[in-house]
Amino acid sequence: MNGLGRELQTLAAWVEWPETPDVAPIVMERLAVPPPPRVRRAARRTAIAVALALVATILAVLAVPPARTAILDWLGVGGARIVRVDELPSLTPARDLRVLGARTTLEAARAQAGFRFADPPDGETAPDEVRVARGLRVSYVWLGGGGDVRLLVTQFPGSVGDPALLKKLAGESTVVERLEVDGDAAVWLEGGPHVALFLRPDGLVGEERGWLAGNTLLVDRDGTTVRVEGAVERSDAVDLVRAMRTDHSFEG
Amino acid sequence: MESRPLDEETVVARAKRGDATAYEELVRMHQGIAFRVALVAAGDPDDARDAVQDAFVKAYGALGRFRDGAPFRPWLLQIVANEARNRRRSAGRRARLALRAGAVVSGDAAPSPETTALAHERRDVLVDGLARLDERDREVLVHRFLLELGEEETAAVLGVRRGTVKSRTSRALERLRALVGEDVA
Repeated sequence: MNGLGRELQTLAAWVEWPETPDVAPIVMERLAVPPPPRVRRAARRTAIAVALALVATILAVLAVPPARTAILDWLGVGGARIVRVDELPSLTPARDLRVLGARTTLEAARAQAGFRFADPPDGETAPDEVRVARGLRVSYVWLGGGGDVRLLVTQFPGSVGDPALLKKLAGESTVVERLEVDGDAAVWLEGGPHVALFLRPDGLVGEERGWLAGNTLLVDRDGTTVRVEGAVERSDAVDLVRAMRTDHSFEG
Repeated sequence: MESRPLDEETVVARAKRGDATAYEELVRMHQGIAFRVALVAAGDPDDARDAVQDAFVKAYGALGRFRDGAPFRPWLLQIVANEARNRRRSAGRRARLALRAGAVVSGDAAPSPETTALAHERRDVLVDGLARLDERDREVLVHRFLLELGEEETAAVLGVRRGTVKSRTSRALERLRALVGEDVA
């Protein structure tokens, strides 16, 4: 290195570059789409992804009411498919707990449910109610002082043949972020409303309109989708899912 | 959720498997140098920012073709530079150097006021000299010395062979020396 080269190297430390913009959030938001093709060929999730793609094409026609609503991008996790659209259907939060099925005990839920699901945390953080809908959705409900739903955890099989959550419509204002919870694929939706759409056993599209106005964490855990909804921070939702164990033997 | 420090090859491998958290880590790791490379190529901070965003999105789509074990940064910076140049061309701008040598540098390396004043003059001479070089000479020196890219990275960004970077650097230094002399202090 000659003297002029060294001078230029020194000059580098003095050059005033404009401040680097943090592009990570917008890049990750734009990447809220399926993983690269190689990944989609991998293992179990392939079947889910392909099947969902087919069904959701139909759903996109059936279930997106405003004609000018455009699907901006989407990503899938477990049995859920998240579609970002430029306009959401109107939201009327459901308030009737019966939508979540009959109230039951954890033991009875294990006997009724036709899929493997995780137990709720116990002790002080145990849910106020356990509900099972048609043996295909298990919900843990935490109630607030006025009897309103404060936090909701719903589990359902990730396969398309079940009346599982098929897709969520997320508005442009919703932050959609991929993450991992103990190695399981997960998605975090924050800051905006979203609507859940289900494929019912009769083949029609069921719709769940924003149970809670809060944030949502979806985790694909061993073929079961765990959904946490409520006014929770991401870290709390993640801790909650971590505290839920799937250690009872499944006889279904 | 856990953000443990991992070597880049591992992070790249995870990103290739579709781990978005790993890819975000790569974006954060490289967005600084990516922005500067884009700025040099595009000549405009807004275009540079947009080019970097597009480049990271494109790079993610192309990860499946990224060769395992290869260095990630030259591959990425090549995509960044291409995006930035395309933006500059579509905007009909010529490449121009918009460098400014600062008067203040932070940290222990800050020289005394006297040497700062002297050095500042020399810095202005160097910047002026760089600006007077033709584009081909200037870009190789800017990438090698001001952006502190290696020869391989510079070659990737400029779309030339590594040997070409070597020879161009040598010639460009000679031409700059003819303009600014050499500081003997």
